[in-house]
Amino acid sequence: MAVAFPLAGRTRAHPVPLAWRTITANRWRLARSSAGIGFAVLLMLAQLGFENAFFNASLQVLRALDGDIFLQSVHKYQFATQDPLPISLLATAKAVPGVASAAPLYADWYDLFWKSPRDGKSYLVRGFAFDPKTPVFTLPDVNAGSAQLQTPGAVLTDRRARRFLGMDQDARQSEINGVKVEIVGQFALGPDFVSDGTVMMSPATFASLMHGAAGNPPGIALGVIKLASGADPNTVLKALRKALPTDIAVMTKDRLIAFERAFQADVSSAGPIFAIGTIVGFVVGMLISYQITFTEVSDQLPQYATLKAIGYPTGYLMRVVLEQAALNAAAGWIPAWLLSLGLYRLIGYIALLPMRMSPGITFISLGLTLGMCLLSAVIAVGRVIRADPAAVF
Amino acid sequence: MGAMIAEPSAPAAAPVAAATTEPVVTVDGLNHFYGEGAARNQVLFDNRIEVPPGDLVVMTGPSGAGKTTLLTLIGALRSVQQGRIEVLGRDLSRLSPHGLVEIRREIGFVFQMHNLFDALSAYENVKMAMQLGHQRPDQMRRRGSEILERLGLGHRIDYKPRHLSGGERQRVAIARALVNGPRLVLADEPTAALDRDSTRKVIDLFKAMTIEHDAAIIMVTHDYRIIESADRLVHMVDGRIVSDVVLHDAMRICEFLRAIDLFRTLTPTQLTDVAEKMKKRQYAAGETIIREGEPGEEFFLISDGEVDVVRADHEVARLGRGDFFGEVALISGEPRNATVLATEPLDAFVLGKTDFQSAIETSAPFRDQLYRVYFSRH
Repeated sequence: MAVAFPLAGRTRAHPVPLAWRTITANRWRLARSSAGIGFAVLLMLAQLGFENAFFNASLQVLRALDGDIFLQSVHKYQFATQDPLPISLLATAKAVPGVASAAPLYADWYDLFWKSPRDGKSYLVRGFAFDPKTPVFTLPDVNAGSAQLQTPGAVLTDRRARRFLGMDQDARQSEINGVKVEIVGQFALGPDFVSDGTVMMSPATFASLMHGAAGNPPGIALGVIKLASGADPNTVLKALRKALPTDIAVMTKDRLIAFERAFQADVSSAGPIFAIGTIVGFVVGMLISYQITFTEVSDQLPQYATLKAIGYPTGYLMRVVLEQAALNAAAGWIPAWLLSLGLYRLIGYIALLPMRMSPGITFISLGLTLGMCLLSAVIAVGRVIRADPAAVF
Repeated sequence: MGAMIAEPSAPAAAPVAAATTEPVVTVDGLNHFYGEGAARNQVLFDNRIEVPPGDLVVMTGPSGAGKTTLLTLIGALRSVQQGRIEVLGRDLSRLSPHGLVEIRREIGFVFQMHNLFDALSAYENVKMAMQLGHQRPDQMRRRGSEILERLGLGHRIDYKPRHLSGGERQRVAIARALVNGPRLVLADEPTAALDRDSTRKVIDLFKAMTIEHDAAIIMVTHDYRIIESADRLVHMVDGRIVSDVVLHDAMRICEFLRAIDLFRTLTPTQLTDVAEKMKKRQYAAGETIIREGEPGEEFFLISDGEVDVVRADHEVARLGRGDFFGEVALISGEPRNATVLATEPLDAFVLGKTDFQSAIETSAPFRDQLYRVYFSRH
């Protein structure tokens, strides 16, 4: 009987775990390779975390919206652009069967200057306004404080805003566009890559700050529609499209978020930047991992040649080297993943970014780590393939 | 070699069963070259050697003589360039790369460097070889422990090489080579790192392999303790096998030579020199050994069997064990004066013309006596 694979068949029971033994024999060396590969993994995890945080930051205000269907201008390429719609649309929408409520959300990104209680300077902030009687956010702090927004000049501020805005301080008063405002409460949202902080207020306050005079603001940024219980979203969506002019985009919440994500990923340069950052981490990891595997292989070359001489096929040796690379990948990835949980917290705290570990990041980083280690092992394994069994005599 | 003469002669070995006398290794007309083109350098020249089962063959010679190259060629670690090598009944030059890998599994290799895996225990290093053999997994531990114990490593079975002495490591490597009970063992200086006691154990195990398993062992060594136990001594110089002496036969030849009147005056050293230069050769029944009228090239001494001496179609003599023939043409320079036929399977020791003549030159009494014998026969 030809024994094509030495470990197949009878002897499968408990073959000597050569790769495992080799990796674990020298703890100091294992620690070093784990640190080297782990460093590259951490680079990739940081990039993946940043990317995730970037999207989360851009999307978190949309995720916090309390509605089923949304109306905005079809000309908007992202949420943070000014293209107001007439408020009269809401009345039209409300008349559509299955619509329980249609509330306005006013928004501005480029006109509101907030005087920081910290240093007295004025900074651009994002402002949202909604009818305190029909809240449009799911944020509990916002809804709790909304009643107090009825008072003219009353605002809620974001305690997670960037610190130079001073919103985390205990000030009760400040100014927006030179007008005194009363800080009646706080909520937690956080900055994104467009805005450093957010203030919320009533439409009347919003209008007064925008124009310096009381009155209704020029138009709404978003129509927030809630469905009556039992209404079919698709039917209502179609009915709304029919009832409204063609320059109004009617979208479910998922669609609204997907639209925004697509802009951030494809149209803005953010997606490629993080991808390149991840690739740099991958390449650094490959170089480190190649160095490790190359050294391991070189140190054991006489032993590998001996195995060849006594009748092991080259395929077995290649498998051992690849197994070693996979084990090195695991030894680097596990501590780096654990460390990244702390790193994310730290970055989240310092940069006020929503850095969160996700199953997506976990699997992608594990796949990339395995990929870089195996790829470098494939290059290093050439030495084993060329090892001359006659040279051991 | 004087030491060999002093040893009591061993009783003749019992004839080995016919089925197992098929040589384990047959090398014929083997040339080998290193490098290519202008840098091509011949390292082996027309080597031939046959190793039957049960033989412990020791190869000696200065470094660079080609011993290791020959060993790696026999071990299927290099591809054959010119000539023929048959190992365990298979022609190496006709084997695919896969076939070469397979045949290596049937050979036990002991390398100069032990090349053990530092990360594996002594037993696991041995198990790496067992995984290639036909050992049942549930028997491996027992078998591995057994062979390590036999080499005096019973208390070191689960030690890593780092915690073993140089000699202990080398013995682990030997255990790895022998654990599958190979029919051929190739070893390069296996006892270089060993003390007297370990060497004894290793030699005992090698000898046991040849006796119990009928294994053939080819070993490069300069360790006289092994040479003493060897069945055969092959000496290489400059890529050529310059002598191939069956040590047991050398003693037998000496006994034969001593029994013959004309050799009685030779000193033991001279006798051994002649014996060492004689090569063993086998003839089938009915085969013509020398033919009347042909030029004489060799001198023959019968080890076993009988021959008829025939002159002009008449049988003139029947010679047997201990008799010799073929010397007349060498001394006189004339063609053969008779034909000699084997009447039954014949073992003979053969001495080439040049060696024969230089032996004659060695000693005047020897020469005188030969001449006397030569003329007394006429």
